[in-house]
Amino acid sequence: MTRVAYYPGCALKERSAHLERPALGAAEKLGFELDELDSWTCCGAVPPPSEERIMNLVAPIRILKDVRDTGDEVLVTICDFCYNSLKRANHRVSTSDLDRKRVNAFLRENQPKRDYLPSTEEDYRDYLGEVQVMHLLEYLRDVVGFEEIAQSRSTELSGLRLAPYYGCVMLRPEDEIGLDSVENPTIIEDFLVALGAETVAYPYRTVCCGSYLSVSFPESSARLCSNIISSAAEKGADAIVVSCPLCFYNLDSRQKMISELYPGTKSIPILYFTQVLGMAMDLDISDLGFDKHYVDPEPVVEKALGSLKGGGSR
Amino acid sequence: MKRIGVFVCHCGINIANTVDVDRVVEELRKDPRITHAQSYIYMCSDPGQELVRDTIKNEKLDAVVVAACSPSLHELTFRQASAEAGLNPYQCEIANIREQCSWVHEDRERATAKAVKIIKSIVAKTYLNESLEPIRVPINRRAMVIGGGIAGIQASLDIANSGYEVVLVEREPSIGGHMAQLSETFPTLDCSQCILTPKMVEVGKHPRIKLMTYSEVEEVSGYVGNFTVKIRRKAPSVDWATCTGCGECMEKCPVKVPSEFNRGLDDRGAIYVPFPQAVPNKPVIDRDNCVYYRTGKCKLCESTCEVGSIRFDQEDEIVEEEVGAIVVATGYETLPLQRIAEYGGGEVPDVIDGLAFERLLSASGPTVGEVRRPSDGKVPKEVVFVQCAGSRDPERYQPYCSRICCMYTTKHAMLYKHRVHDGQPYIFYIDVRTGGKGYEEFYHRAEEEEGVVYLKGKVASIFRDGDQTVVWGTDSLAGRNVEIRADLVVLATAVVPGTGVQDLAKKLKIQTGENGFLNEAHPKLRPVESITAGFYLAGCGQSPRDIPDTVAQASGAASKVTALFSKDEMEQDPMIAAVDEDVCGGCRVCISVCPYDAREYDEEEEIAVVNEALCEGCGACVAACPCGATQQSNLTDRQILEMITASLGEE
Repeated sequence: MTRVAYYPGCALKERSAHLERPALGAAEKLGFELDELDSWTCCGAVPPPSEERIMNLVAPIRILKDVRDTGDEVLVTICDFCYNSLKRANHRVSTSDLDRKRVNAFLRENQPKRDYLPSTEEDYRDYLGEVQVMHLLEYLRDVVGFEEIAQSRSTELSGLRLAPYYGCVMLRPEDEIGLDSVENPTIIEDFLVALGAETVAYPYRTVCCGSYLSVSFPESSARLCSNIISSAAEKGADAIVVSCPLCFYNLDSRQKMISELYPGTKSIPILYFTQVLGMAMDLDISDLGFDKHYVDPEPVVEKALGSLKGGGSR
Repeated sequence: MKRIGVFVCHCGINIANTVDVDRVVEELRKDPRITHAQSYIYMCSDPGQELVRDTIKNEKLDAVVVAACSPSLHELTFRQASAEAGLNPYQCEIANIREQCSWVHEDRERATAKAVKIIKSIVAKTYLNESLEPIRVPINRRAMVIGGGIAGIQASLDIANSGYEVVLVEREPSIGGHMAQLSETFPTLDCSQCILTPKMVEVGKHPRIKLMTYSEVEEVSGYVGNFTVKIRRKAPSVDWATCTGCGECMEKCPVKVPSEFNRGLDDRGAIYVPFPQAVPNKPVIDRDNCVYYRTGKCKLCESTCEVGSIRFDQEDEIVEEEVGAIVVATGYETLPLQRIAEYGGGEVPDVIDGLAFERLLSASGPTVGEVRRPSDGKVPKEVVFVQCAGSRDPERYQPYCSRICCMYTTKHAMLYKHRVHDGQPYIFYIDVRTGGKGYEEFYHRAEEEEGVVYLKGKVASIFRDGDQTVVWGTDSLAGRNVEIRADLVVLATAVVPGTGVQDLAKKLKIQTGENGFLNEAHPKLRPVESITAGFYLAGCGQSPRDIPDTVAQASGAASKVTALFSKDEMEQDPMIAAVDEDVCGGCRVCISVCPYDAREYDEEEEIAVVNEALCEGCGACVAACPCGATQQSNLTDRQILEMITASLGEE
């Protein structure tokens, strides 16, 4: 089985741990193993990535350097924020001589003291941007191939009307990430179509969910999320599909506040793309983490299973 | 020993405030190589020039150095003054102590010392100057105009009406350009075609204009006064000499292709003329779409043609024309809708560009002037106009202002209101720029009398919802976001250089700027000339501009051409490359570095020679020459070394 280095990040190990399991299971069914790094730290998403200072390079470049040192060429993440901070740091180190020199000088002098890893300054090899950072969706599109997934899926999700939600950091800034068009992306749609689902077009799929405002100004985030949810629901979506744990949190858990602030807003289940993939790959329902949602996705799951009964199984 | 006189200019206080002019003169007088040195408050004034002339005579000077402003400003003035006093003009040189000294320094002591060094280095050069004669080149008094839009039409007519022959080359089957597509023109609202077509007809019938439509420039060789141009005359697949232009063939053609002229709002056949008033009014067959060329069957047009003019086997023809000057009037395109993903990326049917809206407004357009939207033909009741769609956006699109959109959008909104009285036009803008005669008044009329709603802000997103087109934008004056559920959206897409201009510029060896527009020789003082001699610019190929400015510029370019043609031969600056035939080894490095094709290999003598008419004196070959055989006249290696020695202070 192909082995791919995998970086989970904080969210997928804590609050959103239920979203990781389906990714690991589905990968296995697709013939590759998401092999979690032996040791990893914060991806660096917390020091604002927009600040052009060196500190926000330290964490991601240390992770990428370790990946390079173990001989891996590709690192896969399933969180948009991890993807963004790792990929942008990689881009900066690849394109800016100054950033590359500074972060390497810092890392060379401040190597982690790990008793199990005897390392000296002399061992240090400058990290030059050698590792390719990939979002799992990107890996599925470019390495596995959506067509291959369409061939090997166990359950056809036909009849499911899913509304993709892109958020901000998976695609932006365009010249550094380059995953898809920032204004007119299609990667989640293409992914869902490969799984046999129907996609719903609605205008809010690339509009902000409030991101970290959820912490400081939850009402603002609630207002933005209510637009997204209402628009998708109005267009007849059974669920919204996201690829970022923060979008997931804002759109799912925030629906409690939304229902209070904007009574009458139709509630809609939020699915992580790994869960949709898990359903299509016929993983055990109990492994898909549906019990951890604020809005119960059971109707969607039933609809998917219904289509399974309808002859979608191979 | 050469007698050199130096004149130091105060330039009022421009030089004298920073450079101690009297001390400079004092220093110069100590130099035994300088016969005469003095200062004057304004050397360029009449008394200043008089001073030069008198001193040349009285002091029997052999050469003159004027220490003043940049040679690009007054070199000619002082060379003429010197010539009037009997000197060879190339014995007069300028030492720039203003732009390169007084204007850029503050320390008076050091600036004064630097001025002395600059002057002494020019004196050192002048010491070795030779008396040169301008190079005389005969002129072929026949012009070529590339591009048959309003700019090319105007330039052709002006040159032809001055008595010279013109070859007008147009890529499309007809002349007329974008102006032929426009409905009415701002700020007077007169019909575009009504004012354009008389000029098109005049071109078509003019005895001194040789019109070559459906043709493209393949290759240009030669130099100012003596160009040879190869032109590809694309096969129209119709014998234009016998074709009567009756149009029967077009009616029978079974093919439907989106009409370029009507911006895809309706269809044309594979055999077509772009529009009814085309000049020449002769059809061409679009071979990519013709059934016969694709399948080998059909020939309906051939069987219809009563005079038997269809020629399926016609081939492209290469013709040569000899001309003395070339006007480049290649025009513009607009940024394709597909490029602007946030505004629907060309996939929302009721999002169109300004030129398409012109066709909807035009009495000769696909809707005969009724405003009907493309998706379902309904008359739109809410129309949103978005300005700066791709302009003034350095991060994502074009950084510059496209200049015509503010006015044409105002015109669009007004004309829409005239057609649909109960309709509501909205205009999103960054600024409304109305620099032109009657433009501000036109804008006020739209806003105050015609009920056009102006919203200051950018549009973020445009998408389709049902049969409506939703516009999300900002009204920055009210400080809020707005959503307009429109029936039709018109984007004022950025004006970009015409397709293929880069390739053409390479063939012509003229320069383009960072945005792909053709570069003028000087942005203010030589706006209609290219830096390469013999090429003149007109219209939007140089930068976005409206019709009045385009016509003015075209007439300017034409008058430059006729000024060139007013003489039998032309004088060119002799400060160009010259080859020492005894030293040249024939390695031909110079040929590979010359940007003007001015270096040629003489097979007989086995040396590389200079074509004096082509050489612009850039010095590239001089620097490249490994044995020093090529020297710039009056800027030889020896002179440069002397100048360096002098500027180092001769220690």
